[in-house]
Amino acid sequence: MSDKKKSLTVFKSDRHEDVAAIFASALIVVVVLVYMAFIVPSVGIKASQDGKLVEIFVTEGTDVKKGDKLYSLEVVKKKWVNNVMEEKVAVESFTAKANGKVLKISGKPGDALKKGKQTIVVLEHEKGTLP
Amino acid sequence: MEDKGLFGKILAIVPGLAVMIGTLYVLRVYVEPWMKDAVVFGSKGWLVQVLSLNYILLSILTGMFYRNILFGGKIPAWAEEGFRTTRLFIKTGVIMLGSLYTFDKLLKVGGVAITLIVAFVFGTAIFVLWLGKRLGADRSVTATMAAACGVCGVSAAVATAPGVRAKPVDLALSIATILGFGIMTMFVSPFVGKMLSLSDYQFGAWVGTGILNSGQVLATCLAFNPNFAPGTAVAYGEIWNVVRVLCIPFVVFFITAWYWKGEADAEHVSLGSILASKFPIFVLGFIGMTALSSLHIIGAEGSETLHLMRDVMAWVFGIGLVGLGAYIDVREIKAAGGTPLRIGLIAGVSKYVIAMIIILAFIPKEGAF
Repeated sequence: MSDKKKSLTVFKSDRHEDVAAIFASALIVVVVLVYMAFIVPSVGIKASQDGKLVEIFVTEGTDVKKGDKLYSLEVVKKKWVNNVMEEKVAVESFTAKANGKVLKISGKPGDALKKGKQTIVVLEHEKGTLP
Repeated sequence: MEDKGLFGKILAIVPGLAVMIGTLYVLRVYVEPWMKDAVVFGSKGWLVQVLSLNYILLSILTGMFYRNILFGGKIPAWAEEGFRTTRLFIKTGVIMLGSLYTFDKLLKVGGVAITLIVAFVFGTAIFVLWLGKRLGADRSVTATMAAACGVCGVSAAVATAPGVRAKPVDLALSIATILGFGIMTMFVSPFVGKMLSLSDYQFGAWVGTGILNSGQVLATCLAFNPNFAPGTAVAYGEIWNVVRVLCIPFVVFFITAWYWKGEADAEHVSLGSILASKFPIFVLGFIGMTALSSLHIIGAEGSETLHLMRDVMAWVFGIGLVGLGAYIDVREIKAAGGTPLRIGLIAGVSKYVIAMIIILAFIPKEGAF
């Protein structure tokens, strides 16, 4: 069996493969950042965890700044404390990650939301920012 | 051998890569959602909740099915080049995992990770060197197994083999033994973790210490908790994994020095030359990614940008894990035997169990982040 046949990589050596992996990951990051910052005009913001929608702090057409509250969710927070899992219900507010304008409100207070499923707010973000 | 040129080489990769991507697409888009809703034994989602089956384990199992049943034990020539991109995908995924951390988070668990890993890596290597002598194993076999069991499975065994004059058959048996052990632990560990109610922090620390192969550590953590986010099993397990990968050149140096010390025609080996040739530089990419995350250049936590980045990361890993499964040849594992098998099993099981005891005794359930 030749060395080429035994090799686990398509590259000349492991070192070449390492460099290729660094380039590949850098390329993915650049593509994702450029796509989100300059190509996608708006994003549908979904719940980042399961919960009940308590309040929406913005209305359609509102201009928002990074850090402004968008909505709040009633969630069950799980945390290990002294080696015991503690669960408590808490209301958490979620903020805008970039400056922009609220295009649409899709959720309403009382909605039961699943992580990453239903859109709550559609936000048009400023070009060059990461929503 | 005919030189295909760059275009020809890229073209040769396409068929196998298409199989890997197509497989993952079917598993993630059709099979996994179906399993979440499927009613088995009168219970909805039984396959996911009880068997812990998710796209990660399915990717590996499907890859194993291709290799061992569909392809009859050997990846066919038309798909071979594509499947050889497996490690590229896993390494790319590992680098992207750096985005889960910031330097302050790394510092919080870094001390514990370094202490445990260094103790286990060198402790296992020294134990295997002693065990090999007790069992009367050839010094080359012992040295290769010490690297394989001590640090990072395949990479360390391959890196050590030339320096200790290991025969190809010894290297193959060592790799088969540790991969066989790793596959077993990969499927057993999520059940054990859930049975013992381990937290993500404890599970990541245990698996990162006790399992021998980088791909298997990641797969096991994701089988326990499939989420990519700070505070999940994969986030903790990867810190342990990176510390261990960083140990490779030092362990290679240590074992090579041990081997040549016992040979009449001792050659000079320097740590500098081994660092220059064996340092896994993709780890620098991981650190670079953590730097970008620490500077908040790649999006705020909870942003849609990071959400998309982690989704891409999941696809990159998934493709790599289909390939990882396709490199598991059941016949090769069956071929493992003799002294390497005995050394590998004794060292592997000891490390796995002792790591569990130490984690349960000293690592709290609440994670550092």
